[in-house]
Order: sequence, then C-alpha cells, then structure tokens
Amino acid sequence: MPSLVEIRGVTKVYRTGSAQRTVEVHALRGVDVDIAAGEFVAIMGPSGSGKSTLMHIVGLLDTPSDGSYRLAETEVAGLTEKQLALVRNRRIGFVFQAFFLLPRETALRNVELPLVYRGLSPADRRQRATAALEAVGLADRMTHLPNELSGGQKQRVAIARALVQEPDILLADEPTGNLDTRASDEVLALFDALHVDGKTIILVTHEPDVGARARRIIHMRDGSVE
Amino acid sequence: MNLFENIRIALEALWGNRLRSFLALLGIVIGVFAVTALVSLGEMATAGITQNLESVTSRTVYVEPNYHSGFDVKRLDDDDVRALSRLPVDILPEVMLNGEYEKKPGDRSSITLIGTPGNAPATDHTIKLASGRYFTVSEANAGAATAILNDRAVTEIFGTHDPLGKRIKLVYTGGIRCEVIVIGTTEPLPMSFGASPAEVMLPTPFLWRTHPDAHLGKYEFFVLRLHGDADIKAVQASAERLLATRHSKDSLQFFNAESLKSALGNITIILQILLGAIASLSLLVGGIGIMNIMLVSVTERTREIGLRKALGATSEQIRAQFLIEAVVLTLLGGVFGVLLAAGVLWLVSVTVPFMHVFRLNPTTVILALSVSAFVGLFFGVWPAARAAKLDPIESLRYE
Ligand SMILES: Nc1ncnc2c1ncn2[C@@H]1O[C@H](COP(=O)(O)OP(=O)(O)OP(=O)(O)O)[C@@H](O)[C@H]1O
Ligand SMILES: [Mg+2]
Repeated sequence: MPSLVEIRGVTKVYRTGSAQRTVEVHALRGVDVDIAAGEFVAIMGPSGSGKSTLMHIVGLLDTPSDGSYRLAETEVAGLTEKQLALVRNRRIGFVFQAFFLLPRETALRNVELPLVYRGLSPADRRQRATAALEAVGLADRMTHLPNELSGGQKQRVAIARALVQEPDILLADEPTGNLDTRASDEVLALFDALHVDGKTIILVTHEPDVGARARRIIHMRDGSVE
Repeated sequence: MNLFENIRIALEALWGNRLRSFLALLGIVIGVFAVTALVSLGEMATAGITQNLESVTSRTVYVEPNYHSGFDVKRLDDDDVRALSRLPVDILPEVMLNGEYEKKPGDRSSITLIGTPGNAPATDHTIKLASGRYFTVSEANAGAATAILNDRAVTEIFGTHDPLGKRIKLVYTGGIRCEVIVIGTTEPLPMSFGASPAEVMLPTPFLWRTHPDAHLGKYEFFVLRLHGDADIKAVQASAERLLATRHSKDSLQFFNAESLKSALGNITIILQILLGAIASLSLLVGGIGIMNIMLVSVTERTREIGLRKALGATSEQIRAQFLIEAVVLTLLGGVFGVLLAAGVLWLVSVTVPFMHVFRLNPTTVILALSVSAFVGLFFGVWPAARAAKLDPIESLRYE
C-alpha cells in the first residue's frame, strides 16, 4: 500500500542576517518520512529540532530546499501556487498551537471559512459548519466570538474548522500547548475519536503523555529523524 | 468566493475598525461632497436665477439706441411706437435721465429719473406696487408732478418713514428745481439684492417739460411685453425689421432674457470645471489616504492573510478581498459625500431665496460615485498586491 505522505531527503535551509554576513540555519537535514493513510503519528523532539518546519512542509505551507515530497502519489514541487491552494483547501486540515481564529467572526463563521474558498453556497456552508461544531461538542457556542470562548473551546473550534474540510490529513502543531490538563484531554479525546473514524493525524508535541496517544512516534533531533 | 461574500468580509473588517475607517474615508467624503455640492449648487443658482429672470423678463424684449454708434444718436419716438403697433406686444416707451434730490438745503444726492406712461404696471409686470398707487394715464398725459419711488429710493430718502404724500425736491443740471409728490412705492426687483440704484418714476411729459436734458417726444428705450404665447425670437426679428426702415443699421440694440441665460450658462460651465479640478485634487489626496490605511491594514492583518492562505485562499482571492475592501471603503466615502451634499443642498434650497430649486444632478452623483470607486480600485492595487504575495507561513509567524 503506497504512503499518503512520502518524504525523501528533504532539507530546509533558512538564510538570515545581512547581505555581507548570511547565517545559514539547517532546520531539516535530509529527512525521510512515510505516513500511511489512517495513521495517527506523533512527532516529538526538543525545541528547535525542526518539528514545525517539517509539519509546514507536509501541510504545503512551506517548500523544501531540497528533496522530494509526494502527497497521495503526487510530487508537490511541480504544483503551481493555485494548485497548492486547492490542495490545502481540499486535503489538509491544520490545527495550530495559537488557534488562529478570526477575532471578529463567530465560531460558526470561523468554521465556515475554508468552505468559503471552496465556493459552497452559504446554506451548504452553514449546515456543514454546524455539523462540525456539533461533532466537537460546541453546538451551544456557535454564535460566540473567539474572545468569548475558553482556550479549550477555541481549540475545538479550530479542530471543527479543520474537520469541516474533510481533509485527507489532519495536521496539529502542539494543539494542547496552550491548554491546561482538562482542556488538553478534551482535545485529545477528539483526536482519538477521529483516528477511530479512520482519519490520518499528524500531531507535534513536547509532552510524552500526549505523544503516547499516537500509534507511532517520530523522534526528531537537530533537523533529522532519529 | 463571490463578490457578495467579499463585500461582506470588507464591511466586517471596516466595521471592526470603524473609527479608523471613518477617518480614512473623510478625504473621499469631503472630495465627493465638494464636487456634488458645488456643481449642484452652481446649477441651483443658475436655475434659481434663470427662473427669476424668466418671471421678470423672459417675455420681454428691450430696445434702445446704441449709444456707441456715433455722436448723433437717433432716439426712439412715437412713430417708432406706431411702427411696432401691429406686433403682439404691449409697448412701454421710457425716458431715463440723471438728476439729484435735496434732502436738506445744500445736501444733494444723485438719483435716476425714469419717465413712464401712466398705469405702467399694467404693461410692465416687473413693476409691482408696494404701497400707494401708480399715476394714471390722464395724470401722466397732463405731466402731473407725481412720483413713484423704488425700494432703494425710499430707504435713501425717507429711511423708515412713510413716504406717501411727502414731497421731494428734485434738482436738475443747471440748478433747475422742482417739487414732486410721492404717491406710490414699488417692490424690489427679484434678483436685485438691493443693488439696483435709487429710482424715481415720473410721468414722461413731466420730464420732457421740466428736465433741461430731456428730448421732447423722444424715448431712451422701449420695453416690449409679449402677448400670450408669441414667439420671442420671431417678435424680436419683426421688431428689428420694422424699425430698420426708420433707423440706420446697428443704431438700435435689442435684448431679451435668452441671451442673458446663455451668458449665465457659460459662467456656470467655467465654474463647474474649476470646481471639478479642485475636487479631483481632494480626491487624489483622499486616495493616498486610502492607500496608506490599506497598507496599514494589510500589515496588521498579516496573520489573517496567512491563515486564509493556509485554509486554501489563492493569491487572487486575497488580492480581490483587499481590492474590494478598498473600493467598498471609497464607495462608502462617496455615498456619505453625496448624502452630505444632498443634505446641505436641501438646506440651501429652503433657506436661500434665489436657490429655491433643489437640484441634485444625477450625472454628478453617478460620476462622483464612479470616481470614488475608481479611486479605491487605483489606490487599492498596491496594498492588495502586497497582501496577495505574502508567504503563508511567514505571515502566520508574524508578530
Ligand atoms: N523563518 C525562519 N528563519 C530562520 N530560521 C528559522 C525560521 N523558522 C525556523 N527557523 C529555525 O529552524 C529551526 C527549526 O525550527 P522549528 O520551528 O521547526 O522547531 P520546532 O521543533 O518546531 O521547535 P519548537 O518545539 O520550539 O516549536 C530552529 O532552529 C529555528 O530557529
Ligand atoms: Mg514548533
């Protein structure tokens, strides 16, 4: 069975500093990763080891400096900006540590957002977003603004926003990093349920007990997979 | 992602920063207000003035000798009156002379003396009595020493006192004096704004008899009031033809209100071009303000842009979002400007007497709104392009 995510020798080099003195940061130094459809994988490792960088490349938000990334058997390097946007919209759901909800929009509108770019009718969007919010247990918070929600509730809205896309892969970069234990448990229970439903989940975390929930752990150190 | 969705997002974003949005579009509001109000104001003034002119003069042709045609000015006389008698007009032959009146011994002021036939208001509708009566035809023919004062003459000579029945001492060139008795006063002419000179109307034969500069049996000008729906151009042409046999070429001048109107129209157009230029400048300045605020907005919303891209927005969609936001902003400014202008114009129309015709030129409104939309489009291009080419991950990381 072919991998959903197939990463071969991917590197990422950041060049910073002035024109005279450029500093090269090797965030990824030749990474090979395979993730099959339906897997629940945790990426762990010390701060600065390149976890987020890898995640952004998998999520098509960033491009590798070198190496090959095939998503569902398609080489990503050959895609145009427009195609990348389409794939992000159709196949990839993102959950960020900092939630990234639009502060002036209600929970419902926030969840509708990816569907707006899919060109769905308002009624269709509303119906799907409502279902997604119900699925994360926020049926009674639809019309709340982000600043009227707790951290755990915000993260659940963000998860609903990713779920509404019905993505091939759900990417979560330290989704519990800003949450207390109880809120973390609520969010992680959601991931467990999604995994049981057959979703592919990649989760970045520092916390061993969070990582323990995953079926497989990829350990990173200094830009490489251990 | 349709237009409606974009407009909704734009309105929400603008509302979220309402004070700033409002301040940003002030420039556009003022610009649009300036064009709309001033252009329409010009039109209202013209409309008001022409309407007043019409009520006074549109059915009137003036005939007078051309005093620049030579030394030997051939004045109008009763034969000219007879020559015109077949035209569908009432003819009011008038004499006009300069004179002085004496308030106290040694205190004299100049005044215009106008000789008219009796019962002139019946023929010349611009003469409206404010008090008293006009001298009758028989009084006029007898050359009675009766006088009608215009509003200016009343205030100059009598101030706030009632002039009826009072006497005025007239002093002509060479110190000749005579006394007349005031039997009536006239309303101010519309549009005169108190600028008309002090005038005394007297029976023409009285002036012929007493004034040393008067030419017996001669008139300075004719007022021809048209009957019914007679065509003013045709009547003027006939009058010119009928009088041509009796006066040499170009020795007479003819006027009617039409010529005045077109002169006014020219002034209005020049004014409108000038105002348009000033308004364009303020729109330019307003547009730069919009660009500035849109650039600030793009920077502030870097994370939002990153998020939208992460969720699948294309660069084109981001560009459209910010472009539409700029256009919505300037169009809102345009709408506010037009509303403000409409309000002010309405206020003017109910308070300023000679601009009582409320006009909000639809062409100007459409033009003003199109221009404001264009300003948004033009000055929104750069900020929108900046938003569109932001890198998703760098934007999300932006603090
Ligand atoms: N835009 C950038 N410019 C320069 N260096 C960068 C940039 N982004 C990341 N880096 C560097 O790349 C390395 C990997 O960063 P990354 O964010 O992937 O680490 P991480 O494993 O997610 O760490 P953490 O657990 O703290 O989130 C770090 O050394 C970081 O400083
Ligand atoms: Mg990280």
